[in-house]
Amino acid sequence: MDGSEKEIKEKQPILEVRDLYFTYNDEKRALNGVDLSIYEGEKIAVLGSNGAGKSTFFLNINGVLKADRGDILYRGEKITKKRLNHLRKNVGIVFQDADNQIIASTVMAEVSFGPMNLKLPEKEVLRRVDKALDYMNITAFRNRPPHYLSGGEKKRVSIADIIAMESEVIIFDEPTAALDPLNAAILEEVLGKMGREGRTMLISTHDVDFAYRWAERVIVFCQGKIIADDTPLKVFQQEDILQRANLKHPMMYDIYRILKEKGIVPGGELYPKNIAEFEKMVDMLS
Amino acid sequence: MNLFIIWFLTGMAICMTVHGMWKGRGKSHHGKGGHKHGSFLSVDYFAYASEMRKWNASFKMIFAMVCLLLCILLNNIYVSIAVILMMGYLTVVIGGLSFSHYLSMLTVPVVFLIFGTVAIALGFSLDPVGQYRLHVLNLFYIYCSDASLLKAGQLVFKAFGAVSALYMMTLTTPLSELIVVLRKAHIPKVLIELMNMIYRYLFIMMDTHSRMKHSAEARLGYVDFKTSCYSFGQVAGNLLIVSLKRGTDYYNALEARCYDGDLRFLEEKKPLKRSQIVMAAVFVVLLLAIWKITTTS
Repeated sequence: MDGSEKEIKEKQPILEVRDLYFTYNDEKRALNGVDLSIYEGEKIAVLGSNGAGKSTFFLNINGVLKADRGDILYRGEKITKKRLNHLRKNVGIVFQDADNQIIASTVMAEVSFGPMNLKLPEKEVLRRVDKALDYMNITAFRNRPPHYLSGGEKKRVSIADIIAMESEVIIFDEPTAALDPLNAAILEEVLGKMGREGRTMLISTHDVDFAYRWAERVIVFCQGKIIADDTPLKVFQQEDILQRANLKHPMMYDIYRILKEKGIVPGGELYPKNIAEFEKMVDMLS
Repeated sequence: MNLFIIWFLTGMAICMTVHGMWKGRGKSHHGKGGHKHGSFLSVDYFAYASEMRKWNASFKMIFAMVCLLLCILLNNIYVSIAVILMMGYLTVVIGGLSFSHYLSMLTVPVVFLIFGTVAIALGFSLDPVGQYRLHVLNLFYIYCSDASLLKAGQLVFKAFGAVSALYMMTLTTPLSELIVVLRKAHIPKVLIELMNMIYRYLFIMMDTHSRMKHSAEARLGYVDFKTSCYSFGQVAGNLLIVSLKRGTDYYNALEARCYDGDLRFLEEKKPLKRSQIVMAAVFVVLLLAIWKITTTS
């Protein structure tokens, strides 16, 4: 991407949030002035302890919850009450608990729910359902009722739900919670695939290692505010931020830092993000 | 002529059994998965696992209803037997439900049937009346006659035929597909959506309940009768609170996907096969023929 193109991209965020405030039941303030711009193709990890406001923020930018104050702009257009469905159509959420999301009594009916609500012709709905099932590799479960699926399979169905809506921004609320290692690996593979396709994604997680290796940008929530918004490396270098949000360093970051301090690896800003990059670095040394 | 019908029905039963044995060869453990769910859940599982799930749901429903009505209206024991045989054949042989499961499902209404018909077959009297009687404790007689026995028998078969027709429908068609048929039959939308949601959330609620119960059991919550009562109340109360709380989550999840007050799902298309229509038509004609022959002779 050359400079001028990048500049246009910088100018036009997909989603822009300005000074957002949200309160539950008139007393518990969940969002405390949030400002954020999300650009096309970004892979954003959202960190923060439980109750920091991540899920509330997601429901706000999807249009389910209505903010007390502040604006949400989708492609430069301010979202009013009448345009809420426009937001919901273009920002999809994969909920933390798949059982809370799945409503229909067969997998096919479930995945079709979103596209049907978009009032698409039946042929188009069918095409999207087939595509989404194929994408998540669950075509074999097509006619199965959700109560005969395992936890990992339900998670895949809940992701297919959102893929079928062809939303521009996809939000995952703690997707790896309650998944076994195999299903977590399958999920990460899917996330990698979606990333390569240039989809815009936000993922909330408590797994700093995952955030470090997967994300291009890390946002840290603390008490309803964004306290850090930068590249993963820069965020994990700020000790005070990590302390405030009760976060730890990613394992890879610590290993590299220790090796660097002991003078085993040459200094600089190499910072391997995953095992493959680490191995490459070690190979370079010997 | 009646003898001919009896031979015909026996032949029909033998053919069906042979076909069933031939189809079932080498898969003696078919349908075993249903056991791990409770008896109510097993109906759902059988319907889901049935081979006849591929059939058009409306067709199955109409066919079952026609057979049920013929059973009741024609009031003919041979017709009832033919319906029982045919429905059993469809459910077990074509649908692939194991015969032992089918029998165990049938025992549920059989108990009611027996208790219901005993009152019709038998009478009580202080005087020795009726063809057959039993003197009880020198006080009264329990009596019956050929006519009353025949009447009771007819009633058993009539009810059994009707039940087996409904069983064919429920054991081969998942509830979600039956709901679609009801929707096409213009049942009010509110009821349809309620059925859809209840069906889905029933399983979640049972799941939540069993988890709560297990955790109470793990802490000796059911150690004696008094504690059990207390724990039961706690679990039930908690279940209500959890349901209310999760209701909000469900609504949020619905809204996140542009829910606007109507539940809309894509429905699976199951084409109606000509052979199935022909089979159904032939069977109905056969029932009418059996009725005609046995009533005129």
